[in-house]
Amino acid sequence: MSDGRYSFSLTTFSPSGELVQIKHALAAIGAGATSLGIKAKDGVVLATEKKVPSALVDATTVKKIALLTDEIGMTYSGMGPDFRVLTRMARKETQTYYRTYKESAPVSQLVRETATTMQEFTQQGGVRPFGVSLLVAGYDESGPSLYQVDPSGSYFAWKASAIGKNMVNAKTFLEKRYSDDIELEDAIHTAILTLKEGFDGQISAENIEIGVVGVDRKFRVLTSSEIADYLEEVE
Amino acid sequence: MNGPTLDFSFLDATARGSMASKHVDESLDAIDGNMHECNFKAPAVEDFEGFQREVINYVKPNHGTTTLAFIFEHGIVVAVDSRASQGPYISSQTVKKVIEINPFLLGTMAGGAADCQFWQRNLGIQCRLHELENGKRITVRAASKLLANTLYSYKGKGLSMGTMVAGWDLNGPGLYYVDSEGTRLKGQRFSVGSGSLFAYGVLDQGYKWDLTVEEACELGRRAIYHATFRDAFSGGTVSVYHVGANGWTKVTGDDVGELHFSYYPATPVDDVDAHCGGEGKKEAEARAATEASAMET
Amino acid sequence: MSIMSYNGAAVIAMTGKDCVAIASDLRLGINQNQTAAVDYSKLHKIHDRLYLGLTGLIADQLTLAQKLKFKHDMYELRENRVMSPKVFGAVVSATLYEKRFSPYYTEPVVAGLDADGKPYITSMDLIGADASTDDFVVAGDNVESLFGVCESFYKRDLDPEALFEVISHCLTSGVNRDCLSGWGGVVTVVTKGNGTFTRTLKSRMD
Repeated sequence: MSDGRYSFSLTTFSPSGELVQIKHALAAIGAGATSLGIKAKDGVVLATEKKVPSALVDATTVKKIALLTDEIGMTYSGMGPDFRVLTRMARKETQTYYRTYKESAPVSQLVRETATTMQEFTQQGGVRPFGVSLLVAGYDESGPSLYQVDPSGSYFAWKASAIGKNMVNAKTFLEKRYSDDIELEDAIHTAILTLKEGFDGQISAENIEIGVVGVDRKFRVLTSSEIADYLEEVE
Repeated sequence: MNGPTLDFSFLDATARGSMASKHVDESLDAIDGNMHECNFKAPAVEDFEGFQREVINYVKPNHGTTTLAFIFEHGIVVAVDSRASQGPYISSQTVKKVIEINPFLLGTMAGGAADCQFWQRNLGIQCRLHELENGKRITVRAASKLLANTLYSYKGKGLSMGTMVAGWDLNGPGLYYVDSEGTRLKGQRFSVGSGSLFAYGVLDQGYKWDLTVEEACELGRRAIYHATFRDAFSGGTVSVYHVGANGWTKVTGDDVGELHFSYYPATPVDDVDAHCGGEGKKEAEARAATEASAMET
Repeated sequence: MSIMSYNGAAVIAMTGKDCVAIASDLRLGINQNQTAAVDYSKLHKIHDRLYLGLTGLIADQLTLAQKLKFKHDMYELRENRVMSPKVFGAVVSATLYEKRFSPYYTEPVVAGLDADGKPYITSMDLIGADASTDDFVVAGDNVESLFGVCESFYKRDLDPEALFEVISHCLTSGVNRDCLSGWGGVVTVVTKGNGTFTRTLKSRMD
């Protein structure tokens, strides 16, 4: 390994000022399945590829979008097991928040807490950074919002974003298609089209997953028949 | 006579209760034929003290009180508040705490309201009987002694009284403190009750032998007022009596609600925020200024 | 003697139409009977539209008020918004229950307007069992008297000035039957459109 001298501990900077373990984590994410999110004026949509390693895997049991509260959902690109750990932490955080304030956690708070955890895993000894980037979507008092969180612990709110293998193309596609007054239904269509653009093989209701939250503030993962309907609409 | 009749047999000296006969030497009865003696039956219980502790909760004493009396050149001033309390609850603001035993004798009330009222009325009877038997008014010394003897005979039975007997007799003004423990003290200045210490503070500071009647009444009023201000269990109205050679007169009765603002006309709290949570704005500013100057040096 | 009536206090909160009022007496007693101060408000401002009234032991009132103010201010910095009265009530309740087996000897009253200007009041016991109502709440060492006058005088949907009158009369009349509270009062009314006003009350000083 060319930078082996600076990766014995991830808390050590390289001479160029980088924490190379974080770069490696981003590389792992770049190799992962594409996920994207679009914030519409009346909601948010998350969409992700759901490719199973073998035709023998029961694809209906694979869930890549996790609910955190009634109004917040999250998906990822990168390492599935790491995502599971973050999901558990985030869910625990939402419950702690609710037990303290008797009010569900705003998206921004949940994202910050999750990002804080991810940052801690870049500074502590004996741990490695998370091999995932997250897309968090929710609808709270301040309206709809979409956040992306990276292994370094940095996070931003986006109008639309994509992560994973096909991230560059997807982002270019989204930049072209996005408008500020987009409606949720259009955003779902755009999300499917964006995924479809760089899709390896035939896109179907079984190999993608879509989560939406609208003005009813209920985050919902679409059923495969709903996805099938949308797929027909964009054909 | 129709209707119910009250049973006053307990006032009958011949119908002795078991309790009184235990504690009063019957040979004394022959000497003074004390018809005033009351003979309450003791409760038929094994553990009298335990019983007493139990029932004291039902006989709620009027603990909150401030009373005072003092002798000066022109007689005696007696001043009292008028609050009756049961625990923190104010059961009355208009209690008469000066008991007019007869035109030359006053008693004050602290402790149990019922005890004070009953036994001072009883004292009135004894004093009247003394007058009838001897053809002259009883001395304050003798009257207070009668009360002290009565209370002593009930010592340990749970009576609660702290009283002052004030009056004018052939020796001039007389003032005694008598309580339910059996104490009897002759003195020039007394204050009794939960607010007594506050009243003493004002009274001792302002007292002089040669006060005029007006000054003395004002001193008594002011002392009681200050006690009602500082003592949670005193309040209502301040009553002031003067005892002179011709007997007692009631001088004033002032509602503390108005008295306070006549003593201190303007005491609005102008800066409310200043009092929130201990440190006020003014204190905070003062502290900030001190810290700023400390940093400069 | 109960530790809850060592210092003495009376606090009332009432809702009105687009406004809320909270009132406290001004006495601070020590050893129950001795009146140590007559300018001691038991109200604590949390933010412009939220007030906390604390009764019970003064030492614990101060500790709790500081702790809650700290929690609120941290929340404000963290979330870039102030707590709604309801959220603050939940925090007070949780904070009190943290000390379930060695409680703060204080019973709080929370009163405020939420972001929409809707009034919210609640009171709770010393371990945080809250009971929010839409009319009035009372706390202190003599809640029986305070409840009595509030039940008689309270009316719904009063405007700020009328609400001030009602809560003032309830406080001054209520404490007239209590040895341990009174000696003047203070009332704060929070309104939806016209800010907040605070006035002191003159009352019997015994």
